[in-house]
Amino acid sequence: MQLVIKDLVKEYANGVKALNNINLTINKGMFGLLGPNGAGKSTLMRTVAALQDPDSGSIHLGDIDAIHQKNELRKVLGYLPQDFGFYPKVNAVTLLEHFAVLKGITNKKERREIVDALLQQTNLFEVRKRNVSEYSGGMRQRFGIAQALLGNPKLVIVDEPTAGLDPAERNRFHNVLSEIGEQVIVILSTHIVDDVKTLCNQMVIMNRGTILLESTPREAVTLVQGKIWRMAIEKDQLADYKTQFQVISQYISEGKLNIHVFADERPDAAFEQVDATLEDVYFSSINKK
Amino acid sequence: MFKEIFLFELKGSFKKPATYIYFSIFFLVTFFIGLAVSGVFETASTDSNRVVNSAYAVTSILLATNILFSLLVSIMLISVVATAIQKDYQYNIHPFFFTKPISKASYFFGRFSSVFLVAIFIITGLVLGYFAGNLFGIGEPQMGPFSFVNYAQPFLLFPVINLFIFAVIFFSLTTYTRGTMAAYIVALLFMVFQFMAESISSNIDNKELAAIIEPTGLYAFNFITEYWTPEEKNSKLIPLTDVILYNRLLWLGIAIGICIISFVKFHFSQFLEPFNLFKRKVQKEASLPPAIFSLADIPSVIQDFSSKANRYQLWWIAKLELKKIISSKFFLILCLLMIGMVVLILNLRDQVFASSTYLVTYQMIDILSGGIGLFLIIFIIFYAGNTVWREREVKADEMIGSTAVPNSVLFFSKFLGLTIAIGLVYLIAAIAGILTQLYVGFYQIDLFQYLVFILTGLAIQIVFIAFCLSIQVYTGNKYFGFFLCLLPIVILPIIFGVLEWDVPLADFNSTGTSTSYSDLKGYGGAFAIWFFYRGYWFSIVAFLCLLALLLFPRGKEKPLGNRWKLSGAMFTPSYKAMMATSIVAAIGLGIFIFYQTRILVPYYSPEESQEISANMEKKYSRYKQLEQPRIVAVNLNADMFTKSRSFKAKGTYTLKNNSIEAIDTLYLEYNGGKKSAFSYPQFEPSKPFTLLSDDPAYGVKLVKLNQPLLPGDSLSLLFTMVYTPRGIFDKVNSSIEHNGTFINYSFLPTIGYNANGELMENKARKKYNLPARARMAKVDDSLARKNNILSSNADWIRFAITLSTDEGQIAVAPGYLQKDWVENGRHYYQYSMDSPMLNFYSMLSGDYQINREQWKGVNIEIYYQKGHDYNLDRMIKATKQSLDYYTENFGPYQHRQFRILEFPSAASYAQSFPNTISFAESIGFISKVDSGPEAIDLPFYVTAHEMAHQWWGHQVAEAAVQGSGFLSESLSQYSALMVMEKEYGPHAMKKFLKQEMDSYLLGRTTEGKGELPLMLCENQQYIHYRKGSVVMYAIKDLIGEDSLNAAIRKYLNNNKFKGPLYPNSIELVNNIKAVTPDSLQYAVTDMFEKITLYENYVKALDFKELKDKTYEVTLTVGSAKYYSDSIGKQTTVAVNDYMDIGIFTENKDKTKLKERPLILQRIKMDKPEKTFTYIVKEKPYSAGIDPYLKLIDRTPDNNSYQFGKEPKIPNLETGRKKKVVISTK
Repeated sequence: MQLVIKDLVKEYANGVKALNNINLTINKGMFGLLGPNGAGKSTLMRTVAALQDPDSGSIHLGDIDAIHQKNELRKVLGYLPQDFGFYPKVNAVTLLEHFAVLKGITNKKERREIVDALLQQTNLFEVRKRNVSEYSGGMRQRFGIAQALLGNPKLVIVDEPTAGLDPAERNRFHNVLSEIGEQVIVILSTHIVDDVKTLCNQMVIMNRGTILLESTPREAVTLVQGKIWRMAIEKDQLADYKTQFQVISQYISEGKLNIHVFADERPDAAFEQVDATLEDVYFSSINKK
Repeated sequence: MFKEIFLFELKGSFKKPATYIYFSIFFLVTFFIGLAVSGVFETASTDSNRVVNSAYAVTSILLATNILFSLLVSIMLISVVATAIQKDYQYNIHPFFFTKPISKASYFFGRFSSVFLVAIFIITGLVLGYFAGNLFGIGEPQMGPFSFVNYAQPFLLFPVINLFIFAVIFFSLTTYTRGTMAAYIVALLFMVFQFMAESISSNIDNKELAAIIEPTGLYAFNFITEYWTPEEKNSKLIPLTDVILYNRLLWLGIAIGICIISFVKFHFSQFLEPFNLFKRKVQKEASLPPAIFSLADIPSVIQDFSSKANRYQLWWIAKLELKKIISSKFFLILCLLMIGMVVLILNLRDQVFASSTYLVTYQMIDILSGGIGLFLIIFIIFYAGNTVWREREVKADEMIGSTAVPNSVLFFSKFLGLTIAIGLVYLIAAIAGILTQLYVGFYQIDLFQYLVFILTGLAIQIVFIAFCLSIQVYTGNKYFGFFLCLLPIVILPIIFGVLEWDVPLADFNSTGTSTSYSDLKGYGGAFAIWFFYRGYWFSIVAFLCLLALLLFPRGKEKPLGNRWKLSGAMFTPSYKAMMATSIVAAIGLGIFIFYQTRILVPYYSPEESQEISANMEKKYSRYKQLEQPRIVAVNLNADMFTKSRSFKAKGTYTLKNNSIEAIDTLYLEYNGGKKSAFSYPQFEPSKPFTLLSDDPAYGVKLVKLNQPLLPGDSLSLLFTMVYTPRGIFDKVNSSIEHNGTFINYSFLPTIGYNANGELMENKARKKYNLPARARMAKVDDSLARKNNILSSNADWIRFAITLSTDEGQIAVAPGYLQKDWVENGRHYYQYSMDSPMLNFYSMLSGDYQINREQWKGVNIEIYYQKGHDYNLDRMIKATKQSLDYYTENFGPYQHRQFRILEFPSAASYAQSFPNTISFAESIGFISKVDSGPEAIDLPFYVTAHEMAHQWWGHQVAEAAVQGSGFLSESLSQYSALMVMEKEYGPHAMKKFLKQEMDSYLLGRTTEGKGELPLMLCENQQYIHYRKGSVVMYAIKDLIGEDSLNAAIRKYLNNNKFKGPLYPNSIELVNNIKAVTPDSLQYAVTDMFEKITLYENYVKALDFKELKDKTYEVTLTVGSAKYYSDSIGKQTTVAVNDYMDIGIFTENKDKTKLKERPLILQRIKMDKPEKTFTYIVKEKPYSAGIDPYLKLIDRTPDNNSYQFGKEPKIPNLETGRKKKVVISTK
């Protein structure tokens, strides 16, 4: 089964072009959607999740026309939005059961089984009687993924799932995701480069509604290998360098401001070549002049 | 920093469209009212002495008025003011504030003052709208001189202060509890407060307390102005003294106190800790081992997306919704408040002497409906908003939206949950009602009525639930949604009322019928109408719901267009067909209802009715002076059909020419008009005639006798008539009931031009170019005195009737039963009268029980509904004692029987026909008479009053001139008072007379044409009943019962069964004067011939105990006397009058009156103030001047005081006040 997105365009009333002619073909496995805040990731996710309509273009999941057969799509969809919450004063079992009913699992016995299994798999079984609104961030995220996995989703969309998690929680979460990715299409939207690097076998970089790069994490790095140059400069020099060179990122190290510059040749003797990372790919894509 | 926060918030608020929408709505409402009172709209005109731009009028509009309206303001306030700080936390903006160096004070007060200013801006819409509307009326007579202060002063005194009070409380509570629910509960509490104030103030003695504690100042305003005459209302500003001042200070104080407390308690960080009323420890997160996850362990499940599964989901979610509702504190509080309201209303009706009844089931249900109605509206609005917005507020919307559950399941599960919750509320109310009935010892509980109550109530609320849910789906803001939900039930009725648009189809959620249940007539067949209206509203909201499904907020799309697109797949041909069906059904039912209410039966707006009257007068008033033969005998065969609810009659009026000229033209009047339910196969004289004209539009037939009817000659007027209701709706409204029919002579055709149908309002007459018309002919108008007040075409008649009804019912009309027989399922009763009576008779039919008694050969019969035997003994006793007193003091009773018949309770009056009295279910038969010394025995009093009419009205017929009400009603009131006094003692009269005086003083404030002295009253009920009671009792007290009765007897004997010229009040007043000593002549003049008011008061009172266990009482009292003109302008005159001084001791015996007189002495107040000293033997409790309120007193409450209390000195001014009196005292 393939998710095929063609010529997707969405412009908001305030003139922002959130999706500017997006074309994607996504296969089974983890698909990373990388981009800064406001790149249009969430719009794309929601559009795929049939929560928004594009102005034009088409989305197909296998035989399902996701725009005109929204309900068909929803039947095979698991979705974890970026910003979500749950009813107050409802415990995890009840809430998950509620979602199970919404997903059409009307057989009581089956519902109980899958709810228990998912709570166990997301390691929430011990705390299943506690109100979800009192869960910590990581538990909430895990509960979120549990609800997304109810039923038999063919397409799982997770939007910024690891934002705000501590490293240990993030790891656990990655394990969960990669396991799912072996079975179905998983679209992971994030602005954290590491997430994509560790998890995804396919990725795109997106900014201002446009796909800047489509590749695999490994190939992407080769694209910029040998073209990333570093130099330590004074802070007040930054503006100058920015006009002279294509500065893709800057960071403070040992009190000095380090810049990474993208160039085919060494731009200046003062620059030293660095081993390119996916981060450099990302920054060079979104900061390309 | 204050300034920045203030300005930032202010700018933000003024950018929001909601601010202007709220303003516009308030502006438009009062603008409409302003236009209406300025006479801009084509509406019916009413005479009034009051201007519409006085401070009084403006205050009345601003304080307006109804509780629902103040709820509208509350919701506006909660949305504008309450959330000023809370929203920062809701949207997580608060860190921006408390990380900046902002002081708490500038944040708290900066926010509050800016939103308060916005709220003030919004509410100025009310006063500006009214002002703008008034501008269109400049030059009209109802406009006084324009004065800015008339608008500004009430605005500052009431709305602005109220706004502050409410805003502070809402703001503080919301900020403190982090949610708006507390504010809503307080808004509800305020409503309960208002009801409580009403309940408290219905006892005359507690009005002041209610005035002080009620938060909006409405009751304080009413308290100060309740006795203001039209003149005072037109010229005075609202005095900021007395209870208005205390009330305003009290609530300002409370508001400021709450403000200070919440400011002190407010911390920037307060929101970081979850707020919980019942503090609970937050559980620590357990440390968990890492997730071990394997999809292989997830069992595979079957996902069912069939419609069966959808139904499963629907109930599942509905159950969840229901659980959420009924487990919330708000639900519990609402239920408690509702029960509290019911208790309040129960209490209220016991306070008002006329409305205390046995708690029969339909009365209990009335109380329940009244008690819960308002709460249900709030409940539904609140929960509809919350339930539609809940998913978005907790951010679960995207997860739910991405499941395959259809919009219809999501929407209707909410609908179902709320509906079941409302059903529960009705069930709780019904159980509470049953328990209440049992508690008060009433055991005849009718469960069927409770079932109907629950089901019909639910059917009404379902429409409102669906409406509110749909509105919340459409709107982009919950609070604005709340406001919109209230519009059709608050604003539309106001506007429709102002425009006199009585459009049943636009009357939101109308049931189409106002017929109430009665034990006699049951539901009166009203279900027929009810179902059609329900169907109509169901169809409309079905359409709204279907539309809501298409616009359901699934996902993140906000604009309605996008949402529509998102749900586009739902918009299938079959869906379109459903929507079309609902529209077609609504239109179809609408057409049917319109046909039944407007096409089939005549309907005229109040203005059109005035126009028709005017046209008829223009066309036919020239026949007013046309000499007509008088009806001297009536012979009827009438049939009442209680199943088809129709009526047939065949009758003969014997006419006799009593004039000195031959009569050749007869003016015949019948029930005409377009689409009349009446038809007249025959209506003509028995002698040859020529039809001159027949005008069915007005129901006038003119015939010319071929041979003129010579003086002294007679002829017959023959008619047959049929009354058939037109259509199924009209049938429900038919005068012929299933059971308990009560109709009268006016159902039948008649002869002669009837001037009573003429347009009375002079303003309207002017509009239609008719000359101004006196309300009544002058007291000495000898032309008018040719007619008695009850009929203009007959004097004393002979009367015989054969009245039939369906078998199983008894038909009754005046006269003695000659025989009765059953034929073809119909029961015939033949009655005839053996003594002269007026052309004034009733026809009744019902399935009655009969209670029979005897008094000296007079048969007393009471016809009553089975089960309504509570007060039969009282009625019998009253009848016998009345007969005793009246025959002894006035003269013999002209009949050998006296019958009282119960009729359904839609009306609450009794009416006296010859030896036959119609007595409403609710005021006599199910009245509950309190025990206790001050209790007023309503059935006893009403029976005695109606009995007295057998003399005053049926032995002496009064001339149709000024003062006729005095002769018939005041004399009947006096007669009844005497019988009551004999039974209950003179001291028990005080409460009754106090209420009578209160009604008089209130009645004169709303007089539209002009108040008149008692003997000249023109059918003004507040004069001939209320003032009549007080004055007649006072004059009896002054000149003595025997003297007064002698004067009355003389009047009776001189006029008994006398025809034209009929007596007027001059004769009776002269008789009274003749028996009054010279020293008291002034009183007769003051009481009957003038409008006299006193201001009697206690200035100081004290006592000291003497050695011999006696007490020396010093009492300083004052008295002022005023003559008033017809609009209430007063002139002070010197007081030189006799009145009572009383000193009372407390009665320890609770079964007796609270106070017992130690001294009751008549003194002469020949100075404005006088001091008296008395020695009394027992410890005095209270003292005063005119303690029994025999004289009409502007302020009845200050006549006597308890010792130890500080008397309040009344304001003795009379002239107009120009300036506001701001006294701080």
